[in-house]
Amino acid sequence: MVQISLPENSKVNKGKYFKDKTGSKNLRKVNVYRWDPSSGENPRVDTYEVDMDNCPSKVLDILNKIKNEIDPTLAYRRSCAHGVCGSCAMNMDGKNGLACTTPHKNIEGDINIYPLPHLKVKKDLIGDLDGLYRQYKSIEPWLKSSSKSEEAEIIQSKEERAKLDGAYECIMCACCSTSCPSYWWNGDKYLGPAVLLQAYRWIIDSRDEERQARLKKVADELKLYRCHTILNCTNACPKGLNPAKAIAEIKKMLATANI
Amino acid sequence: MENKSPLSPHIQIYKWHISSLVSISHRITGIINIIGVTFICVLASLLSLGESNYEVTYLFLSSRIGKFLILGLTWSFSFQILSEIRHLIMDLGYGFELKTSKITGLIVICGSIVLTVTFYLIGKNFL
Repeated sequence: MVQISLPENSKVNKGKYFKDKTGSKNLRKVNVYRWDPSSGENPRVDTYEVDMDNCPSKVLDILNKIKNEIDPTLAYRRSCAHGVCGSCAMNMDGKNGLACTTPHKNIEGDINIYPLPHLKVKKDLIGDLDGLYRQYKSIEPWLKSSSKSEEAEIIQSKEERAKLDGAYECIMCACCSTSCPSYWWNGDKYLGPAVLLQAYRWIIDSRDEERQARLKKVADELKLYRCHTILNCTNACPKGLNPAKAIAEIKKMLATANI
Repeated sequence: MENKSPLSPHIQIYKWHISSLVSISHRITGIINIIGVTFICVLASLLSLGESNYEVTYLFLSSRIGKFLILGLTWSFSFQILSEIRHLIMDLGYGFELKTSKITGLIVICGSIVLTVTFYLIGKNFL
C-alpha cells in the first residue's frame, strides 16, 4: 500500500549545528541525515559549516572532512572513492548518486545529504540493502549452461558480446532501485530496476541456456510490470546505464516470445 | 532485537524531473478522465430523459464551474492522449534515453496546453 508520509518513528527532527572553527571565508552549509540506533530518538538533520578552501571536489570529500575534522561519529559507507565499488551511494540534493563521483560545485545552495530513499536505516547514511540482495540472488545471476561447457570455452561472437554492453557494467550500488517510486511502494514484490537489469543481462547472454526459464521467472505482474517508466532509475544511474530500457526490452521479449 | 530502524525519507526529498512529472500526471489525469467520462454520460442520459433537463444542463455548463470543468477535462483528455502515445512508443522500446525522454515529456506537457487552447478556440468558433 502506498504510504506517502513517513512513519512516526521516522519523522526527521532538526539536529545540532556545528559552527565553523577554522575561520574560513569560504563556507558551505552541509545538512546531513543522522540516526543513532543506541539513542532511541527519531532521526535528525545536523548542519555542518565546512571550509571549502581546503576541500577536494566531490561530495565524499566533504563527508570525509566532516568525519575527520568536525564530527567523528558520522557513519557512512565508502571504499574505493573512484565510482567502482558502489559503497557510497546516497541521496544528494534530492537525487541518488555516488558521493565519490558527484561534484559538490554542481549543487546549488546548501548541500543536503540523506541515505538512499525508503530503506530501513542502520545508522546515519547507511541503509539496509538486504532485501535487494535477496532479490538479486533470486534471479540466479550466474551462467547456466549444462551441456558442453565443462570441456571447452563457449564461443561468443562480437555481436553477441556487444549485447551485454550497458548491462554488465552495473556495480549494484542500488541508486536506481531506491530512486524508483514503484520500488518504494512495492519493494517486497517488485524486483526493481537494478535486479531487472541484471535479469536482462543473463537473459540476453548468448552462452546461457536457461533463457526461457529466466523469462518465465520474471514474467509476473508484480515482479516486472510494476515499472511505469518513471525513469528515475535511468536518471539516477551513476554509471550512465539505462535500466528502464532493459525492463522495456524484457517486456518486449515476453510480448513476442512464445512462452 | 526489536527492529525499530526508521525509514529513510523518500518522496519528501526526491527531486522531480520531466519524466516523473509526466508519469504521475498520467495517472492523475487517468483518474480524472474516468470520473469525467462518467459525468458526461450522466449529462447525456439526463438529456435523453426529456427536454426539461436541457435547461439545467445548459445552465450548469455555462456557469463558471461548468466552464472550468469542461476546460479542465479538455486538458486532462489532451494530456492523457499525448502521454499515452509516448507510452506506446516506449512500449516499442524507443525513447528511453535521458535526453529523448525529456524532450518527449516536454512535448506532452506543451502539447496538452496547445490542444486545450485549440479545442477552446474551435468551440468558440474562432477556428
